[in-house]
Order: sequence, then structure tokens, then C-alpha cells
Amino acid sequence: MPGRQAHGRSLLPGPSGSAVKTAKKNAKKTKHSRAQATNNALDAFARASDLVPERLPKGVRTRDLDEEPEERNQKRQRDGDDDDDEFGDGSDDDDEDEAPRKKKPRKNDDDFEGFSGGSDSEGNEWHIGVDGSDEDSDIDSDEAFGDSDQEKFDGYSFGGLAAKKGKRGNKKVGSDEEEEEDDEDDDDLESLGSDAIDLATALDQFSEDDEPVGKKVEDSGLSDEEDGDSSDESSDESSDDEDEDEDDDDPSRLDGLQKFISAFAGDDDEDIDTEPASTAKPKLSLSDLGLHGVKDAHIKKSLKLMNKEERAVKAGSSKKLEVPLAKRQEDQLLRSAAYEKTSETLERWIGTVKHNRRADHLMFPLAQNAHDAGLDNGELQPITQKTSGTELEQTILAIMEESGLGPTTKPEHKEAGAPGPGSGLSPVELKELQRQRRREREMHSREAARAKRVKKIKSKAYRRVHRKEVLHDAEAAHEALAEAGELDSEEEREVQDRRRAAERMGTKHRESKWAKLGKKAGRAVWDDDFRAGLTEMARKNEELRRRVEGRTGGGSDDDDGDDDMSDASGDSGDEVTKKRKLLAQLDKAAAYDDEEPQSALMKMKFMQRGELQRKKENDDLIAQIRRDLDSNNEGDASDPEEIDIGRRQYGMGDQSKKTAEKKESNDAAKTKERPSKSSARTGVVQLDNEAPSVPEAEPLSPAAPGAAGAWSRSVKEGGRKSKKETKAKVDELDLSNAAMLATRSSKMKSSAATAQADNNDDKDSEDEDAIHLPLAIRDQELIKRAFAGEDVVGEFEREKAELENAEDDKEVDNTLPGWGGWVGEGVSNREKMRHKGRFVTKVEGVNKKKRQDYKLKDAIVTEKRVRKNDKYLASGLPFPYESHQQYERALRLPVGPEWMTKESFQEGTKPRVLIKQGIIAPMTKPMV
Amino acid sequence: METIDRVDTPIAGVQQSNGAFTVTGTRQEFRSKAEMTRMRRQKQAIREYGRGRGIDVNGVRDKKLRRNLTNLEDKYKAATLKTKEAEILLENQGGFLEAETELERTYKVRQDDIQKDVAIEAARGKFELKLKELGPYVCEYSRNGRDLIMAGRKGHIATMDWREGKLGCELQLGEIVRDARWLHNNNYFAVAQKKYVYIYDSNGVELHCLRKHVEVSHMEFLPYHFLLATLGTNGQLKYQDTSTGQIVAEIATKLGTPVSMTHNPYNAVLHIGHQNGTVTLWSPNSSDPLVKLLAHRGPVRSVAVDREGRYMVSTGQDNKMAVWDIRMLKEVNSYFTRTPASSVAISDTGLTAVGWGTRTTVWKGLFSKDKANQEKVQSPYMNWGGDGQHIERVRWCPFEDLLGIGHSEGFSSIIIPGAGEANFDALEVNPYETKKQRQEGEVKALMNKLQPEMIALDPNFIGNLDLRSEKQRQVDKDLDAPAVDIAEELRHRMRGKSGALKKYLRKSRKKNIIDERRLKVEEMIKEIQEKRTEKLEDKKAELGPTLARFARKD
Repeated sequence: MPGRQAHGRSLLPGPSGSAVKTAKKNAKKTKHSRAQATNNALDAFARASDLVPERLPKGVRTRDLDEEPEERNQKRQRDGDDDDDEFGDGSDDDDEDEAPRKKKPRKNDDDFEGFSGGSDSEGNEWHIGVDGSDEDSDIDSDEAFGDSDQEKFDGYSFGGLAAKKGKRGNKKVGSDEEEEEDDEDDDDLESLGSDAIDLATALDQFSEDDEPVGKKVEDSGLSDEEDGDSSDESSDESSDDEDEDEDDDDPSRLDGLQKFISAFAGDDDEDIDTEPASTAKPKLSLSDLGLHGVKDAHIKKSLKLMNKEERAVKAGSSKKLEVPLAKRQEDQLLRSAAYEKTSETLERWIGTVKHNRRADHLMFPLAQNAHDAGLDNGELQPITQKTSGTELEQTILAIMEESGLGPTTKPEHKEAGAPGPGSGLSPVELKELQRQRRREREMHSREAARAKRVKKIKSKAYRRVHRKEVLHDAEAAHEALAEAGELDSEEEREVQDRRRAAERMGTKHRESKWAKLGKKAGRAVWDDDFRAGLTEMARKNEELRRRVEGRTGGGSDDDDGDDDMSDASGDSGDEVTKKRKLLAQLDKAAAYDDEEPQSALMKMKFMQRGELQRKKENDDLIAQIRRDLDSNNEGDASDPEEIDIGRRQYGMGDQSKKTAEKKESNDAAKTKERPSKSSARTGVVQLDNEAPSVPEAEPLSPAAPGAAGAWSRSVKEGGRKSKKETKAKVDELDLSNAAMLATRSSKMKSSAATAQADNNDDKDSEDEDAIHLPLAIRDQELIKRAFAGEDVVGEFEREKAELENAEDDKEVDNTLPGWGGWVGEGVSNREKMRHKGRFVTKVEGVNKKKRQDYKLKDAIVTEKRVRKNDKYLASGLPFPYESHQQYERALRLPVGPEWMTKESFQEGTKPRVLIKQGIIAPMTKPMV
Repeated sequence: METIDRVDTPIAGVQQSNGAFTVTGTRQEFRSKAEMTRMRRQKQAIREYGRGRGIDVNGVRDKKLRRNLTNLEDKYKAATLKTKEAEILLENQGGFLEAETELERTYKVRQDDIQKDVAIEAARGKFELKLKELGPYVCEYSRNGRDLIMAGRKGHIATMDWREGKLGCELQLGEIVRDARWLHNNNYFAVAQKKYVYIYDSNGVELHCLRKHVEVSHMEFLPYHFLLATLGTNGQLKYQDTSTGQIVAEIATKLGTPVSMTHNPYNAVLHIGHQNGTVTLWSPNSSDPLVKLLAHRGPVRSVAVDREGRYMVSTGQDNKMAVWDIRMLKEVNSYFTRTPASSVAISDTGLTAVGWGTRTTVWKGLFSKDKANQEKVQSPYMNWGGDGQHIERVRWCPFEDLLGIGHSEGFSSIIIPGAGEANFDALEVNPYETKKQRQEGEVKALMNKLQPEMIALDPNFIGNLDLRSEKQRQVDKDLDAPAVDIAEELRHRMRGKSGALKKYLRKSRKKNIIDERRLKVEEMIKEIQEKRTEKLEDKKAELGPTLARFARKD
């Protein structure tokens, strides 16, 4: 169709140009196809398998159609491109054979493409249409619906028809296209046995299908034109078509055509999908993706398989098209699918919503939307071997370490630095060095230490000197006591002696500060002085033990000279020994010269000078102390008063015992129990509350029970007892009370007794300033008498019992006389009795055992409700709580700043939603 | 949690017969040292600042509630931990006088020695006021410890800022003065005089005469409730609100002339010591004592309660000093006093000052909340006196290591190391407050005033659930009380022009609660409207058909 050609060319380069173009194309294609061909050849199996499914649909078709060859032919044409793909390059002669055959399908294809192309570039198609034929569209329609199935079916294969169609199609593009599809549709319908499907839906479906087809075609066209066609984009396809048309029409160019075809086939080989696209396949091709040179056999294979499947479906279109669902059903399906999709997307937000709902605080604008949202504001941690996570960091670290800059190098250096100077030394030498250094240090402060020692000795001496005055005072006091009949000199002294001995043996001395310090420092190992002290202590311990057992000891009390505490105890006999010891110490201190080799530092002049001066000072001090001691010698004549006073003072530390003892010693009856008691006590001074005191209390208790009450009893007894005895009885105050109450158990009694016994100690300890005295005792007695007769405890008990009864559950007899029975004279007692308990109501009170004070002996707790407090009680359990414990617990967290830190206060009062300055944008993505 | 403290404890085990040693209670799980210390801290914090035992969250069925309660528990935990950590901010540390050796005794230390050794500022705290004529003086410090009031028996009243030695005011009342008290701050004080109680301001101007308080022998002021409690010689206990001036409660103790009184700072319950040796606990809400304790065999001369309201120390005429656990209502220990102690006071750090005869003894460690069993103290901590002045009253100066002693010869302030709270809480009381702060504090205290009905043995009862049964509630309901007439009540609640009814309706309409009250109100309104329309009709009728349109609704 030259005319058409001419027309078509009006927009494009001339025919010669096209020829040139095709030639070029061929050249290129051959080049391309060479490589492809080899690939294809290798893909023989793929090709074979390609072929196989072709026949299957054919079989289906033959069932439907009568003419097999035609069909076959048509089939071939339909799949011509494919065939070309497969064989075109493989064998030229094959191509030759195919060429004529090819023509028709080509045309057909052209037509087809023309339709679709028409939709794409209308101008071009329009020309063709006008040119091609004046044939009406009616014919087409007639043919489409009126002609035999076969004709219809083979619409593509019959050249004339195809031509007609092509012309017709050119005329009215859109509709024709549709009708063309209709034809196909009809085929399908018929193959299905013309089911009662409404045409409209089918048309709808196909019109939907067509659009992608058009696109595909264009795509394929583009891919064709890629080979350097200079024609403008809009007319690409048409030009392509025209080329083919030309080929069809000009037998003179058969060779060229054949070449072209083969080239085309080769080209097609690459774009496997492009040709199928022309047969309305909505698939992307490799070329679309820009992959021309795919050489992977696997991919190709899979692609081919995919292709085939597609075709198979297409071919057996009877299967593909099922009865479309009703609009409503379809919509329903769509809706459900849409719903699933949307719910899926919404589900992504559930976590966020939940999180926000539960959050204590929400802040807007969201941190998510902040300009620095994704950035890490955290401080960079120094990289160490542990923290370095990434490879880069590790390498850098390694490099740094290599160059001595790494973080680990420093500590290593340090470690290396320590033994650095002595690195050449053996450990033994090193130790020696250290020892020497220490010695030097010690030496430096030696004089200072010596001065300290001297001072200590001096202070001792000083105290000794000055003690005299104190002793004198004490002596006077003691005498006063003796006059008052408080002191029983011999007995008392013995008792005290024993007690003292026991005490010294006790933990007190062994655990003295001095001993503890020594033990801690391990002084016994290196300090001779200390060791001497220890042995001395052990010796004394032994002696004391003997003394505790009986008066076997030498009688001379040892000095506590080496005790740092240096309690001011000292018998006169000891005075001399003490002094001797002191002198010895002084000597030692004086002789305390350093024989050790002097360090370099100490050898220096100024150091020596300083040392000398200090030494001189110390010596002076020692001399002075000596003088003091000597001068004391005369005045330190032993006198018995001093002993007493000394003891007295010693006892001050533990007054309770002393006074207690004094009292006891006065009490003639009790003196015999004394030793065991005191020994029991000394061991456990602080355990007074416990067992040891119980036996002590028991001898006292028998005196107690006879009496009626605290105050009353003392009235009775107060008269006939001596003052000192009453003093002992004071302690029984509680006990007697306890005894008075019949309800109290004996156990209680004993415990009360023990408590009282404790009181004993304390009381005495309280009046430490030595006025424990008859006067005070008399006072107490007086007090007792003054309040005598008031049975306080008894009253209290009675009151409690009354209250308990009053508030207890009660039964009220509401029986009315005469109600249901006779009253008056002549009614027998039996009758009366019968009517007695007929209407009894129980008034609930507080059960005795449920009272709060049921187990408290000295307390009455009211069981009445305080009504005014009800105002502040919750009348019912608030909603979310399940028990009142939960609710009340929730109330327990205070809110005010007085009860918590500022931080927790602010946390507690922070509003739930915080809005800060800025633009509040919605969440862009789920937070969680 | 149980394994926390097992680190230090030796391994417990059982020696078997065959010589094997089966270890029990080993730590099964490994915990790092840091973890252990963290847990230990947590435990400590809970012990010190915890607010009771947590509840079992796992038992909660409702998920949301469970989560909320878990959060709550976490909050508690965090808050206690933070409070514990905030201890670091308590920069001052208290300390006590300590004996260097076994034989040294702290009670031997004389005031002069202490005064010599302490800092100048602290040494200035020791002073003596010789006021021999107007005889025995009672003394009180204001809540922040700045001001001191002294009241001589014979009518001499003096207030002073003891730190600066500045006299506030001095009065000679010319009649017997039994007690004096600061009110909420140093601007007002109350004096119990011969017949009535009077309130004076800081300049000594008589502001009020409380004629309802007759022959008052003891007074207490409850600072959080603004209640002045007085106890008359006739045994009448009266509470007067000093902010409103109303008498809150008048209660007859029915136990004769009372001897002593104090208040428990923890729950504002009054402790009154009686002639018969009982101590009764009172709140203004009940006419009977809440608790009655038999503390002594003779009159209870003096009572004191420690800051936390856990322990009470009372002294009696029976030469006994009893230490009570007030919450368990059990006597913890009892001590012997040589003469009946006339006055007891407990300092913030738990030192107990006992004034007996002419002496004052300070005891340390009479009680300690950390110990399960209170040990008996053997010797006192410090000692003072013996110079012939009879002690009338001892009072600790808040936030200072000072003990004020009012006696027959005036007033002495002595130094007792470690007595005062080292760190004050300025939100509570500020010893260094300025005038402005004082004023603001006053306003704040008034706004935070607690109602007298909130006084109970357990002050945490507020908001708790009323556990009475419905039956009991019905019984308790006062059936004789007249029914509340809603209409009448509303009518009397006239506020402004628009009327209480309308206002009520306007407000209640917003809420969609329809109850009896609302129905009643609506009925009333309808009635009113009807009346109004009727009136309008009447007017219209009066004006006649032509002029009816001018009739106005009003």
C-alpha cells in the first residue's frame, strides 16, 4: 500500500530512509542475535518445552473447531513471533519457508497493532484508515457475529479478512478494537458453550484488559526503535508498522524482508516478552527493565516458562475466563479485601495507641517530629576495647595501640612504672628496699614518738602527784560514810577486793582499748614492751582468779601501769612498785636510742640538729619526771584511807554494782549469797535483764506476797523495818502489786521481780553522786505511806472488768408478764419459770476476747466508735479497686512536697498532657 | 530480697553424724556486688521512709487495675529511694558526747567544760537567768526554737529571743500564773492565770480573755489544728480553735484534778496524767478517753511523748519513770527516780531530760525504734544541778543542743550535745525565718489547718473505707434527726440575685444526674413559673384587651 505508505511517510523520513533504517537494524540485529543464537541453541530444551504446551491448547481448540490446518496455521501466526524467536536465527532456510507464511500473520499483527496503535497515535492511524478501505464497519460486525465460527475465530489468519479488518479498524479505532475483542470473547463464550453471561460485564472486563495491551505494544515499539530510529516518538510504532507493511507489499524487497524478519526474530529473541505483549499480555519484559543481554540460563528458562504459562492460559482461554461474579459480590469481595488491608495498616498503630493511653505523661509536639529526632544526643563514650563495637573502631583502636596511643597503654605504663626503678632488683632486694624506706620514715618520727611516750609517763606521774589532794577529799567523804555506818570496813573491803579482781579478769580489761589496739596492730610480734604487758596481764589474770576463789593472793594489788586507761586505782603497797615501773619505763625511754643505720636523709646536718634538739627536750622532760617521782616518794607513804578512796574511785565506773554491794553487805542476811551472786554478775554486766538476775530476785519475792497493795503494804511494813531494809524493799514495789492481784500469774511475778531487780541497779546508778542515802530512802517510804490505801491497780482492774462486761454481748429478756401466761397470785413458780426466757434478744457488743486490750494488762482501749471521725471515711469502695487494702494503699502515697523529694513531687504532680511551644504535627509513624 | 543480708552472715548448716556439713540457706543465684548494694539500699530506704507494706499485685484480677497498682508500687519505691538518696543533702550531722575510755563517764562532764570546748556560737547557748523572787518558772520555746517564754508562779511573764538576748515583753500580772504557751508562732502566747486564760501578743498586749477556760492548770497548743487545749483544775478539758475562736470540745475527764498533760505530736492526741496513776489519751471527738493506761502507782507527775509518737515517758510520784510503747500500749521499761520527777521532756533526737528535785538528768537511748527489745540504760547521759534550785520544768530547745530548765531561781539553759535535730526542714519550721517568711508561713498553716475531727489515734485513717456493715450503719443512723428539706435548704442558700434555685439547676443540668434533689428542684421551678404566668395573666386581665400587650413579666 504505497499510498498509505506515502501518507504515513509524510510525517516520517522517506521510504528509502526506512529501507536504510531496516538495513541498519538488520546489521545490528545480526550482531546481537549472534550471541543470542548461541544461547538459544543451548536452550534447546527450553524451546522444546515451549513447544509442548502449545499443542495442548491446540487440542482443546480442535475440539471446538473443525478445521485443524487452518487453526494450526492461525495458531502459528498467532505465535509466529515466538516461532521466529526460536527458529529465525537458528536456520535461515527455515526462515525462508516461513517468510510467506509470515506475511499474513504479519499483516494480521499489523492490523492488530494498528488498532492498538490507533489508540495510541490517532493521527497516523486515521490516515491509514481513510486510505485503506471504504468498507463499512457493518460488514465487520456481520462477520463478527454473523459468520461462521471458524471465520470469526480465524479472523486473524485470513488475510482478506484481516485486511478488511485492518481497514475497518482504521476507520473507527476504539470501537473496532472493542469489537475485535468481542470476537475473541465470543470465541470464548462459544467454547464455553455460550453460557448465559451478560455481555456487558464481559466487555467491561475486556476493556479493562485492553489498556495494558496498548501500553505493551507501545513499549515494544519503543524497544524496537531503540536501535537508532531517528523518527519522532509519537510515530514510532506506525513507522514500524509501515515498514512491515512495505515488506508485505513489495515482493522485490523479499530478501530484505527476510533479513528483516530474521533480524526481527533475533531482535525479538531478546525481548521475549515484547511479542507476547502484542498478543495482549500484561507483563513486563526484560527489555522493559532495560536488560537486553540476559545470559543467565536459569532466568531465561524461568522467563520462558512464565511465558508459556501465560500463553497456555491465553490459548485455552476457555479456562481463563470464568463467570464473573455479580457486581455486588465482587464489591463485597473488594470491600473485604480492602478492609483487611486497612485493618492491617491500622493494626500497626495499636501498640502506639496503647502506649499512649497508658503513658503517665504525653508531650506535644511529639519528639518524633522534632527536627533532631533521629539524632543521638548522647555523649560519646571513650572507646575502649570493650566498647568498640564496629570493625572500624576496633581497627582504629588497634592502630592507636600500636602507636602507643591506645587507652590500655596508660595503665600498662603505670604498672610498668612501679617496678621501674627497681626493675633490676630481685624481689628480695625490693623488699629490703621497702623495709629500709619504712625504717627511714619511722626514724624520722622517732623522736616525736619518744616525746609522746615521755609525755605520757609524765602525765601519769603528774596525776600521781596531784591525786593526793583528791584522795584527801575522798577520804573525808569516806570517813563521813563510815560514821554514818555505811562502811563495814573489813568485810566490805574484802568483798570489794574480790569484786575488783573479778572485774579485772573480766572482759573489760582484756578488751581494753590498749589490748584491742595492740591486737589489731599485731604489736605483740614486734613490740617488746607490749609483749611484756601481755605477759603481765596473763600473770595478773591468773593471780586474780586465785583471789576470786579465796583470799590467797599476795594481797598487794597490782598496778595497771601498762594499761593506757590507768584507772586511778592503787593500793598503797603498789605505789612503790608502780613507781619502780615508771622509772624503768623512763629509763627505757631515755635509753631509747637508735642503733639502726641512719638513712641518707638522717645523715644530713639539719636533720640531725633537729633530732638532737628534740632529744634534748625529751631528756629534760624525763629528768623532770624523775625529780617529781623522787619528791613524791616521801609523800607517798601508804595510808589505809587512800586504799578506800582508791577503790571508791575505781568503783565509780561501775557504781551500780558497788552501791548494790554496799547495800547488800549491810544487809546481814544476804551476805552469804554475795560471793556467788557477784561472780555471776561480773561476767555479764550488761545481761542484767536476763537469767542471772532471776535467782537473785527470788529470795526477795517471798517477802512480797503477803501484802495487799503497794502502798498499803509498805504502810504495814514500813514501821517495823529498819531503814536499810526498806531500801531493799523499795524495789519490790512492783512485785508486791503483782502479788496483790490474784489474777496475775506467777510467771508474771517473776518477770516483774526481775524488772525490779534491774531497777535496783539503775536506781543506784542514778544517784551516783553518792547521796544514796537514808534520807532519800526515808523519803520514798514516806511517799509510799502518803499514798497508801489507794489500791490503784485493783481499781484499774475493776474498771476494766466492768467495762468489758458492759460492752460485752448481752441477752435481754423481753418477755412481758402476762403475755401468753397468767400472772398474779396463784401462779406456780414452775409456770413463771416457763415463761421467763421466751422472748430473748441478743444485743451484740464487743466480745471480751475481741477487745483491743484483751491481752494488755495495763491498758483500757475504748471500743466505742468515734462518730466524728466517720466524716472522713469513704462510704464505699471506689470503682476500680477490688479490696479496701488496695484502695487504702493507693491513698498512702503523699503528694505534698513536705514528704518527698522535689523530684518525686514534680513527677507526681506533672500533668498528663504537656504542651510545649511549637507546631503540633500528627504522628508520622507508629512510635512503638 | 531475702538473700540480701546473707552476704555477711556465716554459712548456716547442719553437722551430720558422719561429719558432713549440709549447708542450708545458700545463695542460689549470683548477684553482682552492685546489685547487692542496690538492693540493700532499697531495703534501707523502705525501712526508713517506706509507707507500709505493699499489696499483692498478682492477686488483682482486673488488668488495668493491676497495672495501675504496679505503677503505684513502683512510684512508692522510687519515692522512698529518692528520699533516701536525698539524705546527702542533710549537711549537718548530729553527734553525742562520747566517753574516750571505759572509765570516763559522760555524765561527769560539767557544763563549764563543755562551754569551754564548744564553738563560741554554741557556747552562747548556755546562760542563766537569776529570777529569785517570782519563783518557780515554767518555760516554753516557740516551735522554731527562737523565742522563749518564762512564766513565774507569782505572775512574772517574760518573752525573749534568747539567741540575741533580746527581751520581747515583760509583764507582771500580779496573780498566780500556772502555765504559759506560745501559740502558732512567736506573735501570740496564752497564759493560764488565776481564773482565766489570756492571750497576749508579742508586745504583751492582752488580746483575749478566754472566760470559758476556768482555773486552767495545763495548756497545750496543737499547731496543725490551731487548737488550744486547756485542762482545768476541775478536770475539764477544753479545746478552743484559735483561728476561729470557737470552742471545739468540752470534755470532763472525770478523774479529779489532773496532774500533767502533754500532746503527741504525731497524732495530736492529748496525754493527761491523773492522780490515780493513769494516763489517759484524749481527742476532741469523744467524751471518753481513747485509751487509759495504768502507768504509775501514784500521781503521774509528768508525761512526754517522743517526736514520732512511738514512745511515752512518764514520771510518777511513786519514784518511777516508765517508758511506754504508745502504739502497742505496753510498758517497755521502768526506771527508778530518786525523788519524784517533776518534769520530763524528750528531744528530737530522743534524749530524755528528767527534772527531779534540784537536779536534771538526761538519758540517752531509753527507747529506740530500730530495736525490737528496748534495752535498759544503765547510766544517764548527762547531769546538771544539785545547787538547790527546784526544777519546775524542763524543755528542749528545738534545733539546738540546749535544754531549758525553769526552776525556783529562774531559768537556766544548758548545753546537751546531740539533743537537737541537726537539719531543720524549712517547709515545716524555720528557725531563721524572716518576718515575711513568718507571715507567709502563718497563712500557709492556716490554709493547711486540719480539722479537729481528724484527730484520732491513727492519723492515717482519713480516706479509709468505712468497714461497718450496712446493718450497723442503719443502727448508727440517727433516726430522730429531722429529714432534710431540700426546698427549704435551697431557699435559704440564697446567693446573689439569680437565686439559688436557678443556679443549682443551671449547674446540675450540666451533669446528667437525676436524683431526688433535682426532681424536687425542677418541681419547684415549675411552680414558680406557673405562678409567674398566672401573675401575668392577672395583669393582662387588669389592663384589658387593648393594653394587655404591655403587660410585663417580672
